[in-house]
Parts: sequence; structure tokens; C-alpha cells
Amino acid sequence: MGAHEDGTLTKLVVISSDSVLPIDAALEIYESETNITIKETCFGTMVTGPEDVVNRVVKEVVKLDKNHIFVKERGFPPGDDRRCRAGRGGGPRPGFHFLRNEIGMLPIIGKALDDYDNNVPLEKVVRPEKLKVSHLKDIIESEITR
Amino acid sequence: MTKVFIYPTNSLILSDLIERFGHTPLAVMGEIHDKITTIGIDSPPLNITPEDPKHGLKYAAVEVPAGVRGRMSLIGPLIDEAEAAIIVDDAAISFGCMGCARTNELTKFLTRDKGIPVLELVYPYSDAEGKEFVYKISEFLDSLPKEDRS
Amino acid sequence: MSEEDQVKVALVSCGSEFAGVQSQLDSAAEQVNAKLVYPEMDISSLDTIEMEFGLQVASADLKLMMARAKAVVEGTARVDGVFVTSCFRCAEAAIVRNEVRRYIHQNSDIPVISYSFTERTTAATLLTRMEALTTIARRKHLLAREKQTGLTVGLDSGSTTTKAAIMRDNELIGEGWVPTVNVVESARKAYDIALEQAGIKEEDVQAIGTTGYGRFLLGEHFNAQLVQEEITVNSKGAVYLAGTQKGPATVIDIGGMDNKAISVEDGIPGMFTMGGICAGASGRFLEMTAKRLGVEITELGKLAVKGMQAKVEMNSYCIVFGIQSLVNSLAQGSAAQDVAAAACHSVVEQIFEQQLQEVEVKEPLILVGGSSLIEGIPKALGDLLKIDVVVPPHSQLIGAVGAALLASGYVED
Repeated sequence: MGAHEDGTLTKLVVISSDSVLPIDAALEIYESETNITIKETCFGTMVTGPEDVVNRVVKEVVKLDKNHIFVKERGFPPGDDRRCRAGRGGGPRPGFHFLRNEIGMLPIIGKALDDYDNNVPLEKVVRPEKLKVSHLKDIIESEITR
Repeated sequence: MTKVFIYPTNSLILSDLIERFGHTPLAVMGEIHDKITTIGIDSPPLNITPEDPKHGLKYAAVEVPAGVRGRMSLIGPLIDEAEAAIIVDDAAISFGCMGCARTNELTKFLTRDKGIPVLELVYPYSDAEGKEFVYKISEFLDSLPKEDRS
Repeated sequence: MSEEDQVKVALVSCGSEFAGVQSQLDSAAEQVNAKLVYPEMDISSLDTIEMEFGLQVASADLKLMMARAKAVVEGTARVDGVFVTSCFRCAEAAIVRNEVRRYIHQNSDIPVISYSFTERTTAATLLTRMEALTTIARRKHLLAREKQTGLTVGLDSGSTTTKAAIMRDNELIGEGWVPTVNVVESARKAYDIALEQAGIKEEDVQAIGTTGYGRFLLGEHFNAQLVQEEITVNSKGAVYLAGTQKGPATVIDIGGMDNKAISVEDGIPGMFTMGGICAGASGRFLEMTAKRLGVEITELGKLAVKGMQAKVEMNSYCIVFGIQSLVNSLAQGSAAQDVAAAACHSVVEQIFEQQLQEVEVKEPLILVGGSSLIEGIPKALGDLLKIDVVVPPHSQLIGAVGAALLASGYVED
């Protein structure tokens, strides 16, 4: 992602690991730097600060379990008045609902990344095809005659 | 490194995989960061002002709703910048920046119409699908020029 | 809630953050001491809301609108009112917006107002709507009033005429109707005429309500108990005069400068539109037509009823072009009654095309405002919509009667 004019960056780190807990990641960040802010949330850890520092720290965190820790940029820093639930009241931010769904898929992605690293060959995924009309006709006829 | 536009434009999985495989994801979060840190504009929450849907006119005509054009003012420049793209379709879960179906249709069209390499997939819901998903993305990203190769 | 409390308004919207209007919405809310909030909701309801609501949509943010509406109805989110809004020209959102509004209205007693925006929608445009919404939230007890009690006065300061109505024990006993020159002086004049007709003394009046463009000025001058925008007042006045206070109704008010189309339920305004594109669809155009035809405005309607609009081509999208085609048709030898009919048809057609597209037309259709007295207008409207148009007695006094009725809520028993 390109550098921002204001020099800051917010990244969202999502842990989907059996061996690393969000608190481990948080500690890793706390120990590494002082001029960045972190916020733990129910779906991941937000890291905000100078761009190069955030990138370096996040890289370290990912190393804890590289195929099971995922990262994306976030537009708003944590607790921004314009986005914060406290200011605007009410329910979760719209983007959260999509994130929630993606987070549900992370174990699948993590496992696939492990397989990729271990050079496990790809098997062909068979997806059911649409039923042929002639076959449907056969089914109907056999059901009727039963 | 290739600049890869992602769809959904705010996807954690795609953003992560592209960076992981050594390329630059073009995602809407970066655009929003720039928007909300623009000094002198106070139009919360996203700092989108009535001027932005006008910028969106570059991508959609005036009879297209203002919300579509406002979104296009964020997404359009990313497509302009893209050298490749990955499109993953699942309308059912697209909220927020991806919450408008008309914007999404236009976004995908403009991406495909650009003539850049595009990989189209569906979201995985099983281990086997997940493996195929990751492998296909890695293969696609491998086929794109990397900075250290040039 | 008391009149001073901040009103919590749930924003059930799609696209507002991206269209550049969010700050305008916030600003309009702030001006009427309201706060817009996203309603708290159960996250998992997003997975099931489409089938629960029965409406499947392509845009996920519209699901969010339905889920938020459900949270409001079920009380998960505690709010005093709901503002339902989406992009103008989005068909999918328009369906959801209308159904969500209907759903909230039918399943809760929380006031709801719906509106579609463009990037040019300003806080000023939103203000009347937000004022109407917060009024319904704050003054619900007042709007529930179906009978006028005591001795009260309503003053309606319109852009063209000023109206006064004096009511006693649910009866209209005095009325005044004068052209608006100076807001306060004209109101004084209308008020005096009404006082004389009623045969009462000003000091016996128990409460005053003001409405219309000059409502704030009049409210201050006459020490009014109620100062209220015309959407709420006219809705109430129309169903009161038409005797249809319960259930649905559509109110069309053709004023001197602009028009209002309001869909009303139990006397409370829901969806409404204000203002035409041009004065071509207003009383002013009819006034100019009468002048050209050399008849009194009061005679124009009778003339129009006798004419055939189809014989004259008329375009009132612009008052200038409208008058031009009027002059042309007269020069070509058209009969005065046909021109009068065409003028009425033209005004009604523009209301249909510009305003009735955005509100649900439910019977009874109540036509009010000075222009409703021009017989050609209700006839043209009825012909166009293929339904009977109700013009209640005293239909020109709608705002004044509505204000007098609502003001009686301030009369101590």
C-alpha cells in the first residue's frame, strides 16, 4: 500500500491461530515500540503510528504464526470520533459485518497456506453441476411410477 | 511489485494474500485514510463532501445515484492505478464500502474492461475450496512481474 | 418526553455517508435539538433479515436498513423517531425505503419520515422534515387531538396570502384571508377581520398557533403558544376538515409559491414532498392566467370546468413558457374556457410528475390551499389520477384551522 501524506498508518491484525493468542501479539507490540498505539478489539488488534514502525512491528507479530495471522490496512485509527460507536451511538460499523464473515473463513485460508508451504499438491475440487433437464425428467418419471 | 486491485475493495483476505505474496494491494482503506486525514475538510464520518460525487462523474453519468458516484470517487482512482486485479464474488456479505450492488457492478465492469490480468474466484467455504483459492491466487500473483525481477 | 429534551433519531439509511450529505443530515438534526444515531442491533439478524422481512435485495447495505428497522420496532434500539433515507434515483433503495417506512409505521408508534437525497440536498431542505419528525416525537399528545376546544386562533403566514381562523368548541367562528404584504401587518389585518366576524374580543382568546413561512415572526409578535411548520399543521388541518382523521389519506396543498404532497396516516404526516421545479405549478401561474384571460381568479375555475384542456397545448414547467403558450394559443383563436382548462391541467400535471412520484397516493385524496377553490384544479387532478378528489370546506384555511386546532392543546381545561 502506498505511503500516506500524513505519514501514519493503521493496520488491523487478526489472529486465527492455535498457538498464538491475541494477548501474545499485543505483548509483542508493547515490548517493541513506544510511539505506536494499539487497541485490542473483539475481532483483532489495531496498530496505529508512524508508517515504517507499524509495518515493522506488524511483520514481527505475523512471524509468531505466519500462516494464521492476517493483516489489512484500516482507514480510521482506533477510537476516531467520526467512526467510533461511542460518538455515533448504536450498532457496529457497516464494514464490521463483512469483516466478521471473512474472519470466519480464516481457518480455511490458514490451512491452505500451510499446505502451500508444504508443497501439498492441489486436488481438483468437484462442484456439483446443474442438473440436466433429461435427467430431471427421468427422476420425475421414476418418482411418479413409484 | 505489481499494484493489484482487490474486489471486495476492503477485503482482509485478499489484501493480506497480495502483500504476503510480494505485491501491493490497492484497497479502499488506504483511500479512506487519505480522505479522513485531509486537513481543512470537516464532513464526518468519511469526509466525503458534495464535491466527491462530482468527481465520480468520471466513472458514472449524472443520472446514477449520488451514493454510487461518491463511492466511485474512492474506488475509481484505484482501478485507474491497477496493473492487475483479483475479483472475489459474494454479494451476500458485502457491507459498508461494498454495500451498494450498483457500485459493485460498475466496479467489476470497469476492472474487467481495463484489459489488465484479472483473476476471478468465489469465496471458499470448505478446506478443499480454500486450498484451491489460495493456490490459484499464488499462481496468479507469481505470474505478475515483481520488482526484484525487473 | 418534554419539549426541551434532545430527540434521538435512528438513521436508517443507505448511501448517505458516500453521497456527501451525512454532514447535512447531522446539521439539520442539530438545529432541531435532535441527534442521529445508528440503531443498536443484533448482528446475527443480518443473516436472516431478508427472508424475515420477505424482501431480497442485491445491495447488502439495504439489508442493514431492514435489520436496523427491525431493531427499532422490536425495541433493541431505543429511539424517539426514525429517518429513513437513500439515494434519489435508486430503484432498489426506493422499494426498501418505502417498505421499511411502512413496516415501522405499522408495527410501532415511533414517528418515521422518509426522504431521498442527491449530493445537492442541503440542511435547509432537510430542516422542515427533521422539524416535522421531532415535532411528532415531542408533541405526540398534541397531534392526537381530534377536536378543538376552548377559544383559539390559528395564523397561517403564506408566501402569497395570510390566513386567520378563530375557533370555539370545535367550530370555525371567524376567518380572515388577505394578501401577504408585510408578514406582521397582513396577519394583523386577517386576524382583525376574523375577530370582527366572530364577534369576540382579542383578550378572550386562550391560545394562538402560527404556521407558514412567517411563523417565527408571528409567533413572537402574537406571543403564540404553538409555532409549527406547515407539514404537520396542514396534515392535521386537512384530515380534520375532511372528517377523515383515522387511517390513511393523501394531502395535496397547492400554494401560492410552492406545493406540498403529504401522505398521512392517522393525521400524522409520513412521506412528503415540497416545492415544484418552478412557480409554473403554483397558484401564481393560475393568477397570471386569469389576468391574461381578463377574468377574476375566482372565475377561472368555473371557466375551466366548461373547457377542454386537450384543445390547447400548454407547458407549465416554467412560468415564462407557460404564459408564452397561453398567449400563443389565445392568438391562434383558442377559446378562453379551453385555455383555462389547459392551465389547470398543466399545473396538476406538473404536481403529478414532480411530486406525486415520491409519495404514495392513498384515498381519500384531499386537495387544499387557495388553488383548490379553482374548480378546474380538483377536476383536472381527479381526471389525471382517476380518483375522486375531496376538497373540504374552508380548504383555503387549512393551515390556520390546523394551527387553531393544535393550539387548543395549550388551553387549560
